[in-house]
Amino acid sequence: MSTNQIKVDALVVGGGISGMQTALDLGDQGYKVAVVERKSSIGGKMIDLSKVFPTLDCCSCITTPKMSATAHHDNITLLTYSEIESINRDGNGFKVQATKKPRYVREDDCTGCRSCELVCPLEVSEDEHEFGRTSHRVVYVPFSTAVPQKALVDLDHCLFCGKCIQACPSDAIDFTQQPEPVEIETRSIVLATGFETTPINAKKEYGAGKLRNVISGMMMERLLAPTGPYGRVLRPSDGKMPASIAYVQCAGSRDQTLGVPYCSRVCCMYAIKQAMLLSGALPLAEITIYYMDIRTFGKGYEQFYQNAKAMGVEFLKGKVARITEDENQNPIVRVELIDEFGKTRVTERQHDLVVLSVGLLPGGNPQPKFGVPVGEDGFVQVPDYNVFPAVTSQPGIFVTGAAAGPMDIVDSIMMAGAAASSAASYLEAGNGSRKEAQRQPERSVEYA
Amino acid sequence: MPEEIVNTQAQNPKEDEPRIGVYVCNCGGNIGDVVKCEHVARTLERLPNVVVSRDNMFMCSDPGQKMIADDIKEKGVNRVVIGACSIFLHEQTFRRTLERAGLNPYLYYHIGLREQVSWVHHGTPKEATEKSIRMMAAGIAKARNMKPLEPVRLPAHRQALVIGGGVAGLRSALDLARRGLKVTLVEKSHYLGGHMAQWERVFPTNEEARPLLKRLIDQVLAEPNITIHTGAEVIGAKGYVGNYNVTIRQTPRGVRETFPNEQEAIDVCPIKRRKRFDFGLSTSKAIYRTYTGCVPESLVIDWETCTKCGECVKVAPEGMINLDEEAQEFTVDVGAVVLATGFQPYEPFYGEMGWKEFPEVITLPQLHRLLDDEGPTQGKFWWNGHPVKNVAIIHCVGSRQVEGVHRAQPDGNVNNYCSRVCCTASLSMASLIRQKAPDAKIYEVFEDIRAYGRGHEDYYTRASKNNVTFLRYFAEEIPEVRRADEKAEHPLLVKVRDHLTWGEEIEIPVDLVVLSVGMMPNPVQDLMEIFKVTPGSDRFLLEVHPKLRPVETAVNGVVLAGTAQGPMNIQESCAAASAAASKVSALIEQAKVELEPYVARVDPDKCQGSGECVKVCPQEEAIELKTFSENGNTFQRAVVTPANCNGCGVCVSACPNRAIDVQGWRLDEYEAMVSAIAADIPAWEGAA
Amino acid sequence: MTTETPQKGKILLLATLSGGYRGADMVGQGHMDYPPNTYILPVMSSAIFPPKFYIDAFEKGFDAITVMYSGTDSPYKGESEKTAEIINETYEKMKELNLDLRRLRLAAICTVCVRPFLEEVQRAESLLEEIGPLPRPLAKQGVAANVN
Repeated sequence: MSTNQIKVDALVVGGGISGMQTALDLGDQGYKVAVVERKSSIGGKMIDLSKVFPTLDCCSCITTPKMSATAHHDNITLLTYSEIESINRDGNGFKVQATKKPRYVREDDCTGCRSCELVCPLEVSEDEHEFGRTSHRVVYVPFSTAVPQKALVDLDHCLFCGKCIQACPSDAIDFTQQPEPVEIETRSIVLATGFETTPINAKKEYGAGKLRNVISGMMMERLLAPTGPYGRVLRPSDGKMPASIAYVQCAGSRDQTLGVPYCSRVCCMYAIKQAMLLSGALPLAEITIYYMDIRTFGKGYEQFYQNAKAMGVEFLKGKVARITEDENQNPIVRVELIDEFGKTRVTERQHDLVVLSVGLLPGGNPQPKFGVPVGEDGFVQVPDYNVFPAVTSQPGIFVTGAAAGPMDIVDSIMMAGAAASSAASYLEAGNGSRKEAQRQPERSVEYA
Repeated sequence: MPEEIVNTQAQNPKEDEPRIGVYVCNCGGNIGDVVKCEHVARTLERLPNVVVSRDNMFMCSDPGQKMIADDIKEKGVNRVVIGACSIFLHEQTFRRTLERAGLNPYLYYHIGLREQVSWVHHGTPKEATEKSIRMMAAGIAKARNMKPLEPVRLPAHRQALVIGGGVAGLRSALDLARRGLKVTLVEKSHYLGGHMAQWERVFPTNEEARPLLKRLIDQVLAEPNITIHTGAEVIGAKGYVGNYNVTIRQTPRGVRETFPNEQEAIDVCPIKRRKRFDFGLSTSKAIYRTYTGCVPESLVIDWETCTKCGECVKVAPEGMINLDEEAQEFTVDVGAVVLATGFQPYEPFYGEMGWKEFPEVITLPQLHRLLDDEGPTQGKFWWNGHPVKNVAIIHCVGSRQVEGVHRAQPDGNVNNYCSRVCCTASLSMASLIRQKAPDAKIYEVFEDIRAYGRGHEDYYTRASKNNVTFLRYFAEEIPEVRRADEKAEHPLLVKVRDHLTWGEEIEIPVDLVVLSVGMMPNPVQDLMEIFKVTPGSDRFLLEVHPKLRPVETAVNGVVLAGTAQGPMNIQESCAAASAAASKVSALIEQAKVELEPYVARVDPDKCQGSGECVKVCPQEEAIELKTFSENGNTFQRAVVTPANCNGCGVCVSACPNRAIDVQGWRLDEYEAMVSAIAADIPAWEGAA
Repeated sequence: MTTETPQKGKILLLATLSGGYRGADMVGQGHMDYPPNTYILPVMSSAIFPPKFYIDAFEKGFDAITVMYSGTDSPYKGESEKTAEIINETYEKMKELNLDLRRLRLAAICTVCVRPFLEEVQRAESLLEEIGPLPRPLAKQGVAANVN
């Protein structure tokens, strides 16, 4: 079978942690799975993170083995840098049209040696992985732990100098590459399309993205990551080490004015985690978290919150009304505070750096392509929400991870298992199950 | 216990003499620019047992792999040593190459010449080349001693045991059965559904709980693959992943099936007991039905209170009720176990916020029963014969406790965790109260409102719109519940310092106080001992990794579903239960389990039965001394159970006779490697 | 760190696949330089080597050995404790043979421990610079062979 035609039991749309785990859970059960990822590497948002709560495991260290397991699994076919174009029901299954975008590097030949990157004369600012805080060459391997470790060319910026062609030891550079259509025949689909975060400029009261020392939680993740842009925490305007850092919670969640009435579920914990990491990286810095309710509900989370308090992180209950800056670009937070004696007062406090605990928004609307309706919150609708949390209203289409609402990593992993299980039930009930023939004879079970 | 189907050490191939193929990868210059790969290959050619030694631009490419396969087939290469990039990148690739060429995939050794040589010694190419030769020579020395290995393959029962018939257990069982596995479901009580059956309704969908549950139970009952035992407990198990033999003890129900004059049988029963299903808010007879429509539906005898007077037997049809039935024990063979043992609501201690001290203090689970049409007041929001006008719901009772402030549990620890569901559960009950009592004053006394889930925040907003009053307290200042003056309109006062106003100390007069109690795991010490699983510091069962492997336990073949692992709502329990089913399916669906061959192996010729290995082994039942007899002599030898060995190798260094090794990583292989690295490499002298 | 490498002696690094061996790979991915008289062998478990293995390795030609084990991150129950125990036993044997105990070291190296890895290598290099390679044979004939 040529690579342009793939026949699988399940198609997983999205190669983030939930998509990878769904693919692994299905692949481990013997089903053939295809994973289609829009970006040039799998790993999703998780690979961008510094450390995970509440274990404080290094995120790269625990994500890369999952990425590699997904890539090397016998039953999993990986299609990175690819988009789903359309799906059509075909009998009990689906015919899916996808496009592999041209990398201008032949994936089969590239060994990820980065010789091309070393000779490429042009740097462009990186926006995908480092939020514009660093740059990469025009031809580049996305990041050091990317899977696959294959280069791609940013054609928009390329000077066509040809140096990479000369440097490539395996002759993998190919500027004639065209988008490649791929037809995927599948019996089921799992949506793992994840989330986006609230744009930094969403709220004009918080500076609409114009205040240089007001950054988002995801940007702070990159600053804190061992693979991050500076290798330490510096504030954007002047590269100074911040001595006072504030977190503004619910910056994009529980906010009717932004049309996001829901809680994004992860922000309390990531802010507390970052606060803990910051007190390690900048022992003298004062860290304040402005919050409405601290929602540390998961296993081990409340204890994590209490530890942060004990470490000296300041938690102040109050809604931040506005953020402005002084002449030195120090952000000033105007907040209605409720102090420990219950006194409410409006006050202004100056910090060196403010982190907006931005919320989670749907990663895209699957309705047009997949015919799967979304709820009022924009996330995929799940009709039998309590008992069948991964089953959408479209037979054969399942949902996992943050595509079904804001969710942290562990809940995404649970959902992945649920989606895999529901898809497996569906596949086994389907007609002409290809698995049936391969099945081992059953052992007789004896009752005493 | 079943016999191993395949020995973990495969039969030696015909060609006992090692014929080693050596391959040095340039990695497109990544290695070759520093290390003179051709020279390495030419030097190694001269070592004993080396049949071919080649260098190549890309060993991992298809042509590179084909070269190895061809050498295996044409030149009789039966051991392969590759020097290339990191072992973690392409070990699997090359293993598959060997397999495709018909060679045991474990007859291959990988040397990292890129990450550990060329990339770290670029300033010293001569030394880097010498180091490559020595490292490759070590690989060759190991290869000479390598033995073919097979994964530990054990037959597995395509059957799972699910312990617990609550929503998580039911959901797991359903998924497993639909996946084509046989399932034995064991439930301790005499009805299915667990706590979910006791709830009036569920959030965030506002569905009535029991019809929703019934739909799930009906699907479970429709699965021929599922065998259900209610009133049953697991009392013992032996074996390991794939092959558990589990003993179950089932207490009799006393009543065979439903019958027409059931009410008569109930009426003649002289015993009255507190009804556990209503959390003690009502009573029933010793012969009773848990709730209308429960499964199984027939009446059941409460053996704790039944005096066996026989009145019910007299009125029931002949043979319908049997008070002398004995408990039965039987065993099942299963490949894996799902622990869905659930939670129990936190039980406040006497006097904790007025609990048991004042009859007007109830818990959130009791409120569910109170508001239930089938509950003690038929759903009316009444207490003590009067409509409730003022009610306070106090959050975080038994959750988020602070050491030194709250009283510790018998194990000395406070419940310092959040129970996750109580906030939204309380808010949803407030909304139900508002429906039933439009004029009631409702107070929510809370620390943080954790309406985190999808649709949860709506309850919070709705409650505010519904005139629910919110009062915030800090954990250090627990609200007090005390008796009001006798003449007062409302019997209780809740004293709270409210942090949403001005830190005022407020006393709210109420008719009823509802304690929003947290979750505690069901006590399952017996099962923990039987299946060797452990609890975390919060007493819930411990997962392998709280982030990445939340449903697996440290014991391969035993997984967790639902609130046995930690507080969860119904949706989360169902997701976890499904995930557990997914893990179990992957494990036993093929009717065999396959484990890495890197386990201890005893050389029976060298073993003297000293037992040192048994003493130091940290695993349960991985190694034991067995008595053998031969020609009239009896002697002892160590015997490894590969399924229980994880290859930690502690036994290897402990053995005084060098009779035990971890396969694939044997001590003699390391000795050979050390010698090879240290040996002179004459060919290098004088080379360019 | 110097890359001019007069051969000061050989350093054996036994690195666990769940720890130090991955750490060494990370160092490589960062293209950081360290001297080539270092020989890294991957081990599944650091607990398999009896004291005799280390003494033999010294006798065969290694002048310093660092066991880069997984410490508290070990996937095996008892591996770390047992390894530490063996190293202590080996120190006793080394004392009998009059060997500088600094030649054998136990260090916990994690999968991303780039700096600690380099520090360990540097420590061994400096040690060899200070005390030089081992004179061989280690002691009068037979002593090493009797070590268990």
